[in-house]
Amino acid sequence: MSGQRVDVKVVMLGKEYVGKTSLVERYVHNRFLVGPYQNTIGAAFVAKVMSVGGRTVTLGIWDTAGSERYEAMSRIYYRGARAAIVCYDLTDSSSFQRAKFWVTELQNFEENCRIYLCGTKSDLLEEDRKKRGIDFHDVQDYADEIKAELFETSSKTGQSVDELFQKVAEDYVQLMAFQVMTEDEGVDLSQKNSTYFYSCCHH
Amino acid sequence: MSLKSERRGIHVDQSELLCKKGCGYYGNPAWQGFCSKCWREEYHKARQKQIQDDWELAERLQREEEEAYASSQSTQGAQSLTFSKFEEKKSNEKTRKVTTVKKFFSASSRTGAKKEIHEAKAPSPSINRQVSIETDRASKEFIEFLKTCHKSGQEIYKQCKMFLEAMHHKRELSIEEQSECAQDFYQNVAEKLQTRSKVSPEKVEKAMDQIEKYIMTRLYKYVFCPETTDDEKKDLVVQKRIRALHWVTPQMLCVPVNEEIPEVSDMVVKAITDIIEMDSKRVPRDKLACITQCSKHIFNAIKITKNEPASADDFLPTLIYIVLKGNPPRLQSNIQYITRFCNPSRLMTGEDGYYFTNLCCAVAFIEKLDAQSLNLSQEDFDRYMSGQTSPKKQESENWSSDVCLGVKQMYKNLDLLSQLNERQERIVSEAKKLEKDLIDWTDGITKEVQDIVEKYPLEIKPKNQPLAAIDSENVENDKLPPPLQPQVYAG
Repeated sequence: MSGQRVDVKVVMLGKEYVGKTSLVERYVHNRFLVGPYQNTIGAAFVAKVMSVGGRTVTLGIWDTAGSERYEAMSRIYYRGARAAIVCYDLTDSSSFQRAKFWVTELQNFEENCRIYLCGTKSDLLEEDRKKRGIDFHDVQDYADEIKAELFETSSKTGQSVDELFQKVAEDYVQLMAFQVMTEDEGVDLSQKNSTYFYSCCHH
Repeated sequence: MSLKSERRGIHVDQSELLCKKGCGYYGNPAWQGFCSKCWREEYHKARQKQIQDDWELAERLQREEEEAYASSQSTQGAQSLTFSKFEEKKSNEKTRKVTTVKKFFSASSRTGAKKEIHEAKAPSPSINRQVSIETDRASKEFIEFLKTCHKSGQEIYKQCKMFLEAMHHKRELSIEEQSECAQDFYQNVAEKLQTRSKVSPEKVEKAMDQIEKYIMTRLYKYVFCPETTDDEKKDLVVQKRIRALHWVTPQMLCVPVNEEIPEVSDMVVKAITDIIEMDSKRVPRDKLACITQCSKHIFNAIKITKNEPASADDFLPTLIYIVLKGNPPRLQSNIQYITRFCNPSRLMTGEDGYYFTNLCCAVAFIEKLDAQSLNLSQEDFDRYMSGQTSPKKQESENWSSDVCLGVKQMYKNLDLLSQLNERQERIVSEAKKLEKDLIDWTDGITKEVQDIVEKYPLEIKPKNQPLAAIDSENVENDKLPPPLQPQVYAG
């Protein structure tokens, strides 16, 4: 298990109790809250193999602690992440404010990280439209502005959960394909670098 | 005859055949021209002198070393008092250095100083041997592994040798530069394996693990907590900090682990053992494995307590708690070493990387920890930090951990009983007080009533007639003559 290769680091961000862990649980084990838990000991780190257009990609999904007391440390978590799923509770506008905080952080410190906004607990809205704490169009505008994908998911019913992670994997594969196409020069550079590296050790 | 033979053979003067000392016996070139008896005497004398000289030299060197050591110690003295562990390590290294100087010298002397050297050497050979055994084993395993790689194996071996050679020359460079070299090396080798030798990614990963093991067992000595950095200072700061935070309870950190459950406390102990063991490993990957093992135990502890799998919101506080409780040695050095010399692909994405990141986070949290992060008031926090008071600890922590559970329970029950007893006594005395108060109260009331009665004696006034209201102010009312009564006159 621990030796498993992982291609993409995906980090889950969001306030406490917005349902980051449930989202991962739903995606990886296809279950919600109740259910036999004997197989997993924790949902903090999960490696999930998936296939995109005939290629296999392994997502390494990192859950993070959402409590404000660890806010100062969140930078350590998303270092090197290729994708961040920033979660907020659709019925709680304060959680969206916190989501904005992480988006800003990511934009400032982790340029290469793609952002996926994810409104959770959409099943609650099915029950009662009035529960919506934040307007859909406002979020959509914000998502466009920060060039992020927007999903509204429910870990209870499974709505849009698979789509979200599938999109993450697809984007990664596309990006890789694009990089391979344009990377020839980059490989050359590192080659030169290595000869330099070995030549200097002989004197 | 004799003359003839002399002329015919090699000319040897008679005197040359005799003992150099002139004792009359024949000498022997093997004994440097002495006869056997004189040679023994002469040799013994020379040897004695040699031994004497060696002794003196040995003593002088010893003195110098001791002086150097003493002065270096006095500078560290103040700090290191509390950190015997570091001190031990330091002094171990010191003795090792001393003995290497002596080893040189013991080769020339044969007997005299030997005994003393043996004494001084005693602790170090085991360490040296252990290290070399480990290095040897690592090389053997590595070569075994390379054999399975066929052609690319040779290439890998060559690269590693070259790299180690290069690193040997770079020892003077800063640790960051050395780290960069190592990272470049990992990347180059992985790339070459993948692109040139067309090895599958899984196999590359395996090969990289072996390469890391091989080179890092060799480099460990030079690049772990090097003197050019302040890693050691940081270690001490963290260690001190954790010690100052000994009063932090699981409740303050919101740790979802109930140590009253025996299985859980077992897991906690195992987790602590793992995180402490990390320091004893040499290969970054083995260190990471310790962290992962520790994390797994934490997850188990949470799972048993909460009966559901742990999320990051449960895991991180528990890890912080474990680090606080375990106070692992040389925490910063280990973290730095792993960051600098671990194969980056493992560190950045995989499961090991996740737990390592959490550990970094835990340490960062401990360094920055303040009243707010424990939900305490600033005054309480300051008081706990200064050691003036400590928060009420759980009873179970008052007993040392090796006492068996039954005894612990008994002590706990006794404690509860005595608390109950105390409370009962308090209730009785309070009840008595209440009784007395009640009596006093009745008395008081009675007295007050009496006072009032005395003060205002009962007077029954005639009922005022409402009709009299108009002329009620007329006090002279009763002095008036009685109203006229109708009289009947007989007429």
